Amino acid sequence: MSGMDFRVERGELVSLLGPSGCGKTTLLRIIAGLMDADDGAVVLGGRDISRLPAHRRNVSVVFQNYALFPHLTVAENVAFGLRARGTPKAQIDGPVLEALALVRMDSFADRPISALSGGQQQRVAVARALVVQPDLLLLDEPFSALDRKLRETMQVELKTLLRDRGITAIFVTHDQEEAMGVSDRIAVMNAGKIEQFADPSMLYARPASPFVMDFVGLSTRISGKVSAVQDGILTLSTAYGTLSAPGDLPIGSAAQIGVRPELISLGAGENALSITLEDAMVLGSKTVLHGRAEDGDRILCELPGIRTGLSRGESVTLGWAVGDTLVYGGGA
Amino acid sequence: MNRITLLAVPALGFLAILYALPLLMLLAKSVSTADGLSLAEYRSFFADEHNMRVIWRTLRVAALTTLLALVIAYPTAFAMSRAKGPWLTVYLVAMVLPMSLGVVVKAFAWSILFRANGALNDALQWLGLIERPVRMLFTETALVVGAANVFLPFMVLPIYAVVRQLDARLPEAAASLGATPMFRFFNVTLPLTLPGVVAGSAFTFSLAVSMYVIPSLIVGERQQTMSMLIARSFLYLRNEPLGSTISAVLLAIAVAVVVLSSIAARRLGARQ
Repeated sequence: MSGMDFRVERGELVSLLGPSGCGKTTLLRIIAGLMDADDGAVVLGGRDISRLPAHRRNVSVVFQNYALFPHLTVAENVAFGLRARGTPKAQIDGPVLEALALVRMDSFADRPISALSGGQQQRVAVARALVVQPDLLLLDEPFSALDRKLRETMQVELKTLLRDRGITAIFVTHDQEEAMGVSDRIAVMNAGKIEQFADPSMLYARPASPFVMDFVGLSTRISGKVSAVQDGILTLSTAYGTLSAPGDLPIGSAAQIGVRPELISLGAGENALSITLEDAMVLGSKTVLHGRAEDGDRILCELPGIRTGLSRGESVTLGWAVGDTLVYGGGA
Repeated sequence: MNRITLLAVPALGFLAILYALPLLMLLAKSVSTADGLSLAEYRSFFADEHNMRVIWRTLRVAALTTLLALVIAYPTAFAMSRAKGPWLTVYLVAMVLPMSLGVVVKAFAWSILFRANGALNDALQWLGLIERPVRMLFTETALVVGAANVFLPFMVLPIYAVVRQLDARLPEAAASLGATPMFRFFNVTLPLTLPGVVAGSAFTFSLAVSMYVIPSLIVGERQQTMSMLIARSFLYLRNEPLGSTISAVLLAIAVAVVVLSSIAARRLGARQ
């Protein structure tokens, strides 16, 4: 792993997003002090904590499987961090109940962990991590064990909770929707390095690399070659004629051209392409067109609302604006 | 009866014929006299100070053996649970192979090492740590050390089975909550591995409280244990009521240990 330089502001919610094996959990463990880095430094609030053991960092972790202590009750789990820090007995019950109330688990205080559902366990794990007032909260795939509906509810709940209390948090996730939903900024990781660190809208609208474009959201991709440059607009020759895109690449170089599916509409635009329709999926809030261009490239187009009258095998012309076109140097 | 339960029939039959039945006959002998049922044999047994010393010594040796085995086995189980590939095999073989050697071979090997003109005494004298040979054999310490060595696998394996299942993230979670290594050990690792400790200790204690061959070889008749007393009653004194009585006392102790430890294990397990 290298090229991991990034900075999180106080009170900011940041996600480390990437496919499994990209090093995001390793990075989280290094920040938590559960693993040593060969090189580099972890600085928290201006203090270099790289050499501190985990228990002296004041960095709490919510683990993927929550790692609640099975031999302790809900309240004892939450009290653990305070007891470990030598907090006087009289000053434990108050904060514990407060933390449990925060995650609406106060009525479960005396239950054993085994009696809780996945969502309840997650709340207890969050309460346990927050009660010690950490300088930084790390969450390793905190929603992955929950079913879809519950996941969305918990994401909103947790985000509100962290915001209200001004907590600085780093999420680790492989789910781009989750990352975009819960974070102020996202670091997209690939093969042990950070490809882009930006806010969700920037990441989606202006991905820094083809990897980020593919990993964050869907896109259509076509290869081409730069044939002309004028006023920051590239003219690209492709198997389907010329396309234009804002960019800065030398003439004659190979390029990858991408478009987000919802920016494509029916009928020719500044850029145009004709496809053979393979499927039109009416999903209610949107209609997704799956098409194939002459040369075999798969083209994806999302139209808002319900569109009928599009049938398989039909030839359709699609168009989009030059400004919405993404372009990257290099071959496929 | 569930059909799967039928699978236990051979074992139950085996135990009934070879364990329960003879034992019941033994117990019957300890309470039957010419005048019918009587506890006279027990009264005279407990009245004899020598017998009380033997019981006390047997319990003390068993407890110390269990403690020593536990202290050695507990860290070993952790090392084994972290061992990868061939190393785990090495550990397991190292645990099981000495069992196949038999106590007799071990005991004679120890005597070469520990006797007055043995290797260890020679070495200590040469180093100037002692002036004259120290008696190492035929002592209670030698018995405890030897027994702990023989019973070590029975302590390690149950603890290993529990430690292996311990979620490594639990101590990590504790660390991230500010717990020092010591606090983590006493509040997370130890309580979660206690069922293994209870099981291993129950095994080792039961074996140690009833051992016969090891004390016979290491300390001899000088310091009798209950099993030696039983053997002497049956073999030399031909006093079956006495032998049966001591057997019943020993059995009561062993049963108490097994019952109490399984209650303890269930208590500890129920919380998890």
